[in-house]
Amino acid sequence: MAVLLSEIQWSDPVLPAAPDAAWEAELKRRGAPVLEVDRRVAASRWLREAAYQATNYMPAALPERLHRMGSMVTAQENSCRYCYGANRAYMKLLGYSESFIQQVERDVQMAELDAKERAYIAFCRSLARSRPRPAAAERAALLELGYTPAQIGEIAFAISFGCFFNRVSTLLACPPEKKFERMAAGPFRWLLALAMPLMKKFGPGRPETAALDRATLAAGPFGVVVAPLAGLQAGTIMKAALDGSFESGLLSRSAKALMFAVVARTLGCPHCEAAATRLLLEDGFGQADIDSAMATLRSPRLAQGEAGLLAWARDTVYYEPSSIQQKTRALGAELGAAALLEAIGVASLANATVRLAMLLE
Amino acid sequence: MTALDWILVALGAIALSGLAVLVLHGRRQNEQLEKLLLAADDRLEQLQRQFERFVPADVVERLTEASDVLAPERRQVTMLFADLRGFTALCDRLDPAVTVGILNDYFRHMTIAIGHHHGHVTEFVGDGLLALFGALEANPWQARDAVLAALDMRAALARYNATLRERGLPELRFGIGIHGGEVVAGVIGTAGLSKFSVTGDPINVASRVEGLTARYEVDLLVTEDIRRALDDQFRLRPMPPALVKGKAEPIQTYHVEAER
Repeated sequence: MAVLLSEIQWSDPVLPAAPDAAWEAELKRRGAPVLEVDRRVAASRWLREAAYQATNYMPAALPERLHRMGSMVTAQENSCRYCYGANRAYMKLLGYSESFIQQVERDVQMAELDAKERAYIAFCRSLARSRPRPAAAERAALLELGYTPAQIGEIAFAISFGCFFNRVSTLLACPPEKKFERMAAGPFRWLLALAMPLMKKFGPGRPETAALDRATLAAGPFGVVVAPLAGLQAGTIMKAALDGSFESGLLSRSAKALMFAVVARTLGCPHCEAAATRLLLEDGFGQADIDSAMATLRSPRLAQGEAGLLAWARDTVYYEPSSIQQKTRALGAELGAAALLEAIGVASLANATVRLAMLLE
Repeated sequence: MTALDWILVALGAIALSGLAVLVLHGRRQNEQLEKLLLAADDRLEQLQRQFERFVPADVVERLTEASDVLAPERRQVTMLFADLRGFTALCDRLDPAVTVGILNDYFRHMTIAIGHHHGHVTEFVGDGLLALFGALEANPWQARDAVLAALDMRAALARYNATLRERGLPELRFGIGIHGGEVVAGVIGTAGLSKFSVTGDPINVASRVEGLTARYEVDLLVTEDIRRALDDQFRLRPMPPALVKGKAEPIQTYHVEAER
């Protein structure tokens, strides 16, 4: 049973806001609001860009209303107080009634939605939850209902990247956008509802992201997972996040690859575990080192500060928010703020990548 | 306009009003249906929450998601048995309400510690409990999880004993036995009374190992199978091999002293 907004237990922020004036100016130039999450991830170049993409990505072949509904149920399944509240408020601004939103969040059979839309919502829940991760049959069912492979790619990406952003917000215990939520629930929400499409139309636009071909996407860490998104903006966004996270030097590359491997094993993804193993072999790990690390969630080859990363990464797959926030705070005491932010980004991205890998099934 | 035109206009107006009434009526009916649906959903959610008092929440969720998801299957599972020592004697001395209060608080602390490490309590029997790791979904780190949970239980019991001491109540002591192996997991029982649990020889071994804690006067024992799945993260002390009921050969156990 997915939790409702009022039932989520949320702790105080794990990391304080660390605003970056230049990044905030850039967000405004792109016509994006500066969110609580943006203020907390600004110190990491790849993570702040990925966070921006997560909140501003719009699938080309999916109506906005469906995308928003999917984002809300994804956030709900991940028990992300921050994203769930913001997405719920956004749906109200899009004109959805309170009773309709309640039906969606309570997973009630909705007469307003057709079979295709209901299957979409069910798929969002299933992939976000991943207990177990959806298999080829669920993908085939979507194809049968009339979704194209490209649409399914966009849907899978949107949910997976939603899971990434949900985790970033949750692991940071980001304070909810209360002001926005109040406005969306207030009597003058229609003003905001009117202003938003106008701002979208006449305001500064989101920079164009060129779609990349399969060969380009396949190069780089976890390219095998990104390759099915060839020709879609989603592929470019995912590749940039993965490349950026592995280029950043705050944590060792091996620690990151092991975190991905642990998340892959938790979710039962042989494709991602094999991709992580390749990275570790490139880094000089022997197969025995990898097996031992995977069996015990520890590795003598990692730096002392990185010792707790693998067990913690495993805990970021299924969790109760206040519990994982407590564990994240404890990890921060070992790592320090900058490396903790990096770890939060990497673990969140690993969760997204392994979910996206369902496209390979 | 001729009289016929007026009649047609009047008929048109009547038809339009009729249509409007029908639309309004339909909308009202829809709203009522929506309310009924939400009320029914509310009742279901309440029922589910009540149900979760008797069955682990994860099990309830799986049962409501799909009927065949808990179909019986062989699984590698780690079992943790915990039993209070001397509690039956305590019961005779204490007021029944106090006894139940102590027991409920104890179970609450233990359940939190177990849940914290990816396990779930499948049953309470008297003052004992059985927790499973890897029964509901594959868990490659189940042995490590169970030992970490047991160490958390030890710490939680120490904290709880401090509060009992402050209230002038007797302190509790427990014994924990951990063993793992392939078992059959599924919903076991009759149509009227059933539970999600496991069955097979490893569960008997886990229970016997818990029994050995009293003989060796230690609080936490694991078997050789569990030791093999652990690395040097834990400080283990080998105990003398012991013959237990139902086993032809003596079994080797280890006392878990602490996490290194």
